[in-house]
Amino acid sequence: MSLSGFVLRNAFRNKRRLTLSVSSVAASLFLLVMLQVALRELTNPINDEGSSLRIIVRNKVSLAQPLPARQLQVLERIPGIVAVTPFTFYDGLYKGDEKFTSFAQFAVDPARTLLLITDAKVPREQLDAWLADRTSCILGQMTADRYGLKVGDRMRFTGQIYPCELDLRIAGIYHGTADDRNLMFHHKYLDESLGNPGTVGAWWVRAATVAEAPLVTDRINKAFANSSAEVRAESERAFVLGFVSMWANIKILIGGISIVVVFALLLVTVSTMSMAIRERFRELAILKAIGFRRRELFAFILAESFGLSMLGAILGAGGAWVLFHSIDITKLSHGLFLIFEVTPHMVGLAFSVAALLGFVAALAPMLTVARTSVVEGLRTLD
Amino acid sequence: MTDEPIVAIHELSKVYQQGDTKIIALDSITLDIAPAEFLVLMGPSGSGKSTLLHIIAGVDRPTSGEVHVQGKDITRLNESELADWRNHNVGFVFQTFNLIPVLTAYENVELPLLLTRLPGRERRRLVTTALELVGLADRMKHLPRQMSGGQEQRVAIARALVTDPSLIVADEPTGNLDSHSAQEVLGILQQLSREMRKTVILVTHDPKAAAYGSRQVHLEKGELTN
Amino acid sequence: MALPIRYSLRNAIVRWRSTIATVLGIALVVFVFVLLQSLAAGIEKSSGNTGDPRNILVVRKGATAESASLISRQNFQQIQYFEGIARTPTGEPVISADVLVLVTLPRRDHSGEANVLLRGVTPRGRELRPQVRLVAGRWFTPGKREVVVSAKLARRFAHFDLGDSFKSGTATLTVVGSLDGGGSAFDSECWLDADECRSIFERDMYSSFLIRPADEAAATKLVERIENDRRFKLKAEKEVEYYRKQTMTAAPFKWLGSFLAVMMSIGAVFAAMNTMYAAVGARTREIGTLRVLGFRRRSVVFAFLLEGAFLAFLGGCLGCVIAYHWNGYTTATVGLETFSETVFEFRVTARLVIEGLLFAVVVGLVGTLLPAIRAARLPVITALKSI
Repeated sequence: MSLSGFVLRNAFRNKRRLTLSVSSVAASLFLLVMLQVALRELTNPINDEGSSLRIIVRNKVSLAQPLPARQLQVLERIPGIVAVTPFTFYDGLYKGDEKFTSFAQFAVDPARTLLLITDAKVPREQLDAWLADRTSCILGQMTADRYGLKVGDRMRFTGQIYPCELDLRIAGIYHGTADDRNLMFHHKYLDESLGNPGTVGAWWVRAATVAEAPLVTDRINKAFANSSAEVRAESERAFVLGFVSMWANIKILIGGISIVVVFALLLVTVSTMSMAIRERFRELAILKAIGFRRRELFAFILAESFGLSMLGAILGAGGAWVLFHSIDITKLSHGLFLIFEVTPHMVGLAFSVAALLGFVAALAPMLTVARTSVVEGLRTLD
Repeated sequence: MTDEPIVAIHELSKVYQQGDTKIIALDSITLDIAPAEFLVLMGPSGSGKSTLLHIIAGVDRPTSGEVHVQGKDITRLNESELADWRNHNVGFVFQTFNLIPVLTAYENVELPLLLTRLPGRERRRLVTTALELVGLADRMKHLPRQMSGGQEQRVAIARALVTDPSLIVADEPTGNLDSHSAQEVLGILQQLSREMRKTVILVTHDPKAAAYGSRQVHLEKGELTN
Repeated sequence: MALPIRYSLRNAIVRWRSTIATVLGIALVVFVFVLLQSLAAGIEKSSGNTGDPRNILVVRKGATAESASLISRQNFQQIQYFEGIARTPTGEPVISADVLVLVTLPRRDHSGEANVLLRGVTPRGRELRPQVRLVAGRWFTPGKREVVVSAKLARRFAHFDLGDSFKSGTATLTVVGSLDGGGSAFDSECWLDADECRSIFERDMYSSFLIRPADEAAATKLVERIENDRRFKLKAEKEVEYYRKQTMTAAPFKWLGSFLAVMMSIGAVFAAMNTMYAAVGARTREIGTLRVLGFRRRSVVFAFLLEGAFLAFLGGCLGCVIAYHWNGYTTATVGLETFSETVFEFRVTARLVIEGLLFAVVVGLVGTLLPAIRAARLPVITALKSI
C-alpha cells in the first residue's frame, strides 16, 4: 500500500461525514460561482456593435414622463443622426401570464426602426408584412420559442401603464440581436388606442459613427434645453447601466453574500478536518513512534484537507461550468437571463478559495499533531 | 449474622474474541464472599482481577457462569435493571477518582441520589452525612480541581456510600495517591467494613494495601491460585 | 431521573475557549438571518399604510401600482356624484383625485440620481389622510409651485431642505415644509398641489381617487358599482387593503434572508458537531462514570443535547444583540411597485428575535445529535480504564 493509498483509505473512513462535507463544500462553491455569474449578468450590459451606435432619449423629468411627438422634426435635423424612431415601452401583461411578463413590448415606427436594428435577421417578406399591417408586430425568436408561437398567431396584452389593450398579429420573427426577446409593434396603433395624445415614451436614435455618437448625444440634449420638454440623451449602454445603478448596492450585496458563503464554507472544512484528525490521533502518534517525521504527518493532513476541498471544488465549480455549457440557460430561465456564463475566471476563483480553505483547515490539526508528544497521543482513548 | 455469602460466584468465565484468537480473561471462577468482608483481589496485570471486579459490580457481563449478589442473579438483569441495581447496591471507587469536574463536592456526592425519588431535604441529609463521614464536610462547595488527590478520593468514597449500598468495590483506589493519602483512604475503607458492616472488595497489586483487607484472593491468568 | 441541568450548562460555559468558534458561527448565522428579515419587515411596513379603514382607493384595473395607473377626468366626473359617497356639511362629495408623477432627482451624496414620487393632492386629499402630518414649515399654497417633502426623503436628496428649490421639467419647485407619513408609504413621497402638478408635468389624467363612503354598506355597493361598470376599467378596494398587498419589494429580501440562513447553518451545524465531538472525546471517562452510577443512556444523550442547545442559544443571543444595533436604522431602496425611492427602517421585531433564537437552538440540536448518540453508545467500561 502506498502512502497515497494510506491517505485515501483514511479519508474514506467515515463515508457519511465525507459525503456531507464534500457536498457542502461543493454546494457553497457552486453558489459562489452562481453569484459571480449573476453579478456579471446584472452589471455588464450587452455590448454589441449596434449598441454603441444607438442612443436613448428620454424626458429629463423621469423615464415615466412622456415626450411630445413633435420633437421628431427637431431630431431629424440634427447632424450625425442616421435614423430616429419613437420608442415607447408599453409594459403589457401577456394574456396568460399571471403576475408579470418577462419580455418587453415597444411601440415604434417600423420603417424607421429597420434602420436601427440592422443586426436583426428577419426574412424580407415578414418585414414587409409588418410594415403593411398596422395591427401586426415582430417578435424575438426566444419569446416565440418559449410560448410556442409562429408567424400568423395572435397575441393579446393588457396595459399596465397605458389604459388600453393590444391585439397583435405576429408578422415576423427575428433573431440575431443581442436580446432576442422583445416585441415591436406600430406606434400608430398605440396612438389610436389612446386617442392620439401626441406623445411618445422615448426616442431611439442611431448615430452615424461610433466616434460621433457622444457628439450627437450632446447635440440632442442642447437642442431641447429650455424647451417645454427637456431631454436626457444617453448611449444605450449608459441607459442600461443607469437602471443597474438604481440597484445601487448590488455589488455590495453580492459581495456580502459571497463572504457569508465563504465563511460557512470555512466552518465546514475546518470542523470536518478537526473531527477527522481527532479520530486518528492515536494512529498519528503511532506513526510518529514508528519514525514518521512531523513533516510527513503534515503532508498526510494537508493531503486530506486539500483533497476534501478540491473534490468539493471540482463538483461545485466544475459542475457549474458543465451545467452552463451544456444547457441553454436563456431558454430554461424563460428569457429572464441572457448572458449567464461561467467564465474561466470564476472557476479559477472558486478553486483558489477551495485551495485556501484546504490550507486553513489543516492548520489547527497540524499544530496539534506537532505539539502532542507520542505518549500523549498513545494515551488517547479513541 | 447469617452464613449466606453476600456474593456467590459460580463457574464464572469471560472470554474475548479478537479476530480468530480467543482470549480467556476469567476461567471458571467459583468464589464466595461473606458479608462485611474486606476482600482483596490480587494478581499481576492481565490476571483478570479487574475483570472479575467489574462483573461482580454489574459493569460487565460474563460469557458464562452466575453471579448472585444478595440472592439475586445479576447476570439475568437487562441493561436498565442493571443500572438501577448498581445505583442502589454498589458503590464505586476508581483509581482515577472520576469526579465530575464541573460539579462541586456536594453535587458529586449527590449524583447517585438524583436517580432515586428522595426529596431534596432527604438528599441533603444523606450527602452531608456521607461527607462528614469522610471528613470533608467543610469542602462541600469546592470543585475537584480545588482539592488534593486524597481529598478527591475521599469525596469519591462519600459518593460511593451515599445510597447506602451493601457492596463497595474499589479498583486500585490508591494508585494515584501519595502514601499518606493512601493510608487515609485505605483506613476509611477498613472502617466501612469493620464498623459499618459493608462488604468491601479491593483490587490491588500493592501488598501494603492488601494488608488492610480481611482476606486475600490471588488471580493469575484468569484462574484463582492460592 | 435525569442529570441536573447545571451539569450541561456548566460544561458549556467551562469550555468556552474551545466552543467559541461554534458560538461565533451561530451568532453570525442568526445575525444575517435577523438582519435581512428585519430589512424585509421594514420595507413591508413602509410599503404599507395604516390609513383610515373606511377609505376606498380607485386605480385603473391592471395597474401594478398607483403611480402607473391612469384614470381619465371623465371618469372622475362620472364617479364623484355616485350615491354612497359621504358628503361634507356643504354637500360636497368626499372624494379626491391625485396625480402621481415620478421625477428623477440628484441624490444628496452625489452618488447619482434616483426616482422620487410626487403626489399632487387636493385639500380634500390631505383631509382623507390624517396620518400624514406636517413636521416643519407649512403646507403648500394651492396655485403656487410649492412642495412639501417627506422628512425622511429630505435626508437623501439634494435641495430638499426648507427653502430650497429644485427644477423638474419646466418648473422650479420650492420646498416649503416637510411631512411625516407615520412609517407608511407616504414617507417616500413629496406632496404638491394637484392642479400645479398636472400643469407642470402636462398630465391630463389622474392616477387615483380616494373616496370616503357614507358607511360600510355604502362602501361595498360602491366597490361593486365601480368595478362592474363597463364604461370604466377601474379597480376599487379598501385603501388599507391595497397597501397591504404591496409586498413585492420585501419578498426578495425575505427569501434571501431564509436562503442565506440555511446555507450558513450548514456550516454552523458542522461547527457544532465538531465542538460536541470534541467534548464527548474529552469526557469519555466522565460519561462512563455516570453510566456506572446508574444514569441511563438517554440521560447522557439529553445532557449533551442540552449542552449543545445552550451553546447555540448563547450564539443566537449574541447574533440578535448585534443585529439589534441596526434596529431603527433608516435607509432606502427602489420600491419594486412604485419604481421610486422607498425609505424604510430596519425593524428588529420581538418575533424575529424569537425566530432567530429558535433557529439557533435547532442548529445546535442538529449538530449535537450525532455526538450525543456517540456519547450514549460508549461502553460503561471506559470509566474504568486507568489510562
